[in-house]
Amino acid sequence: MSAPSGTFQERVDKALGNAQLKVALERTTGNARRKRAAAVEAWPDFVAARAAAAAIKDHSIAHMAYYLEMFERNALASGAQVHWARDPDEACKIVVDICKAANARTVTRSKSMLGEEIGLPHALAGAGIRRVETDLAEHIIQLAGETPSHIIWPAAHRTREDVAKLFDEHHREKPTAHDVVSMVGSARKELREDFFAADVGISGANFLCADTGAICTITNEGNAELTTTPPRVHIVTAGIEKIVASTEHALQLTRLLVRSATGADLTQYTTFHCGPKRPGDLDGPDQFHIVLVDHGRTEMLTEMPEMLRCLRCGACLNHCVVYRAIGGHAYGGAYPGPMGSVLTPVFDGLEQTRDLPNACTLNGQCRQVCPVDIPLPTMLRHWREQSWRAGYEPKTLRAAIRLWAFFAARPRLYQLAQAVALPAMRLFAKGGWISSLPLASGWTAARDLPKPPGESFLTSIRKGGTP
Amino acid sequence: MPERGNAPNSPRVGLFVTCLVDSMRPNVGFAAVALLKSAGCKVEIPLAQTCCGQPAFNSGADEATKPIARQVIETFEPFDYLVAPSGSCAGMIKAHYPELFADDPIWLDRAKRLAAKTHELLSFLVDVRGFRPQNVACKASATYHDSCSGLRELGVKAQPRALLSSVKGLELRPLEGDETCCGFGGTFCVKYSDISNAIVGEKAQNVVATGADLLLGGDLGCLMNMAGKLSREGAKTRVFHTAEILAGMSAYAIGEESTGAAGKEAK
Amino acid sequence: MSARNDIFAAIRKARPEVAAPTSIASEAQACSQAMKRTLPPLDASDLVGLFTARVSAEKVGATVERVARLTDLPGAVARYVATNALAPDFALQPDPRLQQLAWQDAPGAELRPGAPLRRDTALAVGLALGGIAETGSLIFHSGAEAPTLYGFLPLHHLVALDAQTLMPLLEDYAVFASGLPVPRNVNLVTGASGTTDIEGVLARGAHGPGNLHIVIFN
Ligand code: SF4
Repeated sequence: MSAPSGTFQERVDKALGNAQLKVALERTTGNARRKRAAAVEAWPDFVAARAAAAAIKDHSIAHMAYYLEMFERNALASGAQVHWARDPDEACKIVVDICKAANARTVTRSKSMLGEEIGLPHALAGAGIRRVETDLAEHIIQLAGETPSHIIWPAAHRTREDVAKLFDEHHREKPTAHDVVSMVGSARKELREDFFAADVGISGANFLCADTGAICTITNEGNAELTTTPPRVHIVTAGIEKIVASTEHALQLTRLLVRSATGADLTQYTTFHCGPKRPGDLDGPDQFHIVLVDHGRTEMLTEMPEMLRCLRCGACLNHCVVYRAIGGHAYGGAYPGPMGSVLTPVFDGLEQTRDLPNACTLNGQCRQVCPVDIPLPTMLRHWREQSWRAGYEPKTLRAAIRLWAFFAARPRLYQLAQAVALPAMRLFAKGGWISSLPLASGWTAARDLPKPPGESFLTSIRKGGTP
Repeated sequence: MPERGNAPNSPRVGLFVTCLVDSMRPNVGFAAVALLKSAGCKVEIPLAQTCCGQPAFNSGADEATKPIARQVIETFEPFDYLVAPSGSCAGMIKAHYPELFADDPIWLDRAKRLAAKTHELLSFLVDVRGFRPQNVACKASATYHDSCSGLRELGVKAQPRALLSSVKGLELRPLEGDETCCGFGGTFCVKYSDISNAIVGEKAQNVVATGADLLLGGDLGCLMNMAGKLSREGAKTRVFHTAEILAGMSAYAIGEESTGAAGKEAK
Repeated sequence: MSARNDIFAAIRKARPEVAAPTSIASEAQACSQAMKRTLPPLDASDLVGLFTARVSAEKVGATVERVARLTDLPGAVARYVATNALAPDFALQPDPRLQQLAWQDAPGAELRPGAPLRRDTALAVGLALGGIAETGSLIFHSGAEAPTLYGFLPLHHLVALDAQTLMPLLEDYAVFASGLPVPRNVNLVTGASGTTDIEGVLARGAHGPGNLHIVIFN
């Protein structure tokens, strides 16, 4: 598995140089945008529903300790074992230790972004444990040796042609044809044996329900239940912000989550898991472990509490012009797109990731589609401010902005400078356009610049006297 | 100078012309003045104005932004309204100045009071002045790009279309992705110019696909970005600020020489 | 300090206020109510019609038929087996209400309900605990009489649903469930298994059943 490497700019260059990537991204995100729009249209009060959803999440965040304790009490009563981890290393160690104690040789995993966030695939490999990804998209990228590029469609960067090639190469029973249905059929056969060969099944959680101690998974394929039911041990890894007050709140949020993610009213499988096998049960795991992970979330309670609302629906990715241009791998973290640009600096440090909050036009569409009304642009700007304060922004940029701001706060000086600059710029024009301008190559590399006027508006006004 | 007066039926409007219009396209400023006058406003143009401060603010340089913001507040607080021919600059003053001074009660109060009377030009004409252009004609097909700040921070969407519907001969065509960002993003387009290029490339394709003669919008930054890309791609689409069409001041599109043969009326 | 203590300490530091459980509960209640007020109106007078329309919609993709009584289920299964050219052996959920039906009397095919549930089972027949009209979901609570995997292993899942157990909204299910013991698994099943993982295009039968057939009885 190769995680994205290089600088942000290098990753962007690579992404923009890959014409197939744009095709794949547009097919997946375009479908997602259309379906979401239809689902939202069928809910006339959707704007009010978003506010209500935000309030539901804010409620559990405001009483986080209370609800986490309630969750833990109820989970323990159901026979679950509850573990707490401050950081990814602790979380991975807990999971690996449980696997070792169970003498696990093979684990199946259903998609969990938290697992990616804490580097669980890597930790399992390090412990010599065979990992089988069972979500179709995760299966595709496991075959390709990649990391996810989207939080809902991890293989959003792969076209059906790519997938056909991978399946032909790796599957014991090759797909009979290269249409999507045949390829899905081939994956079904390929993974079926693994579901029953696994010693441990690992899942994430969309919600932790305080009132019952159950964890909720929301999936389409049925792989989550096949991952968590047959093996002897089921391990759940979840961020502590997944806590909600009740089953009712979980279901209410699911309504928005699913519509925002796939445009469906509900995904095929909304499942609550509560504890291990009970007396008389014919299936189910003997052990049920829940690993609750902090990893920066308690800091976010103070720094950016709204971000803890995030349901991981992916709508902000699908609607982001930057994500759609560069894809998920260019972001370099577990979470891409607008929500990733807010979260990755929390996890990986701002100094290394300062490009993410900056590489954004602040157009606000992400916030508009977010089902829990997270002010993503405000948070991205917040990171820019932190980065500026900490001195992470490049020196030349800092100098340029400072110089410009000095003039901008002094109209007379500004207008003097402008009176020199405009005629100078005009010297580079051919016809009405400038196609290359020193110090402005960022602009002229991609597009022409209109030739400026001989004098500014305010100069004309001053000369003309009246408007 | 026009007469001063505070009568509500003839409000005193301070035109915040914006740095881009000031430097790059004065015609939009003149068009704004003409429209505001037709809408019964007394227009004044304070000379002590430069920029709203977005380049610094969006770079995270809050301290550098504050002197600029203070100066805008001081200059424009005597007016009944501040009007700007840009959703992005009006949005900066309306939505972000109060954020900028969140920890400074005195300036916060002043920022909020200015925010309350700050408007984007096209929505001001419709929502506050109930204005519709009379006897303006433009025989052409046009498509419209909704710039993001105006659209999402200020709710500018229906107003420009309402105004343009009064322009005789103008046929408005729908634009695929009209609410999708054009990739300008202020300093973004030079800091991440290759990503910006990919975004505006898609926008230019959508614009060309409409087959419209004109591309209109309400923010010069976005318009220059799209016009520049269309020009680079060799497209024939002519690009104007909506105010120029509404004021009948559309002789030369963005990038057309005001003294060359390229210029012809957009009608 | 343990990780648990550290985490709780950090949360309490950020959120020092302690509210009374009763006030937290009423706040939670108010949140749910506020959400309910935003829902599009739902006509609760014809839940069967609503459920059927939902669940057979393109994006849910199940098939539905109505019979008079649960005792008509064997006939429905026989028809389903014949239509889909399936073998007469099928796995029957170990629910006594299903087990005691007169399978041998079903007209047409000679049904054999005794097959064990296996990883390549073609057909499983089950009984839902209830249904949710808003979403077209079937409700299953796991237990000795309702193992989880019956709904996930077979290629065809045929489910009997008592019309009386239909409820309008997801919230109604939450109220219903709060009166029951919490099962190991709650499975809300909404249509046949599907995936949109390849280019966002929907394909059925990813891992769970590719076909879901619902027989509604009174
Ligand atoms: S930030 Fe909002 S839109 Fe983005 S993934 Fe999270 S919930 Fe969805």
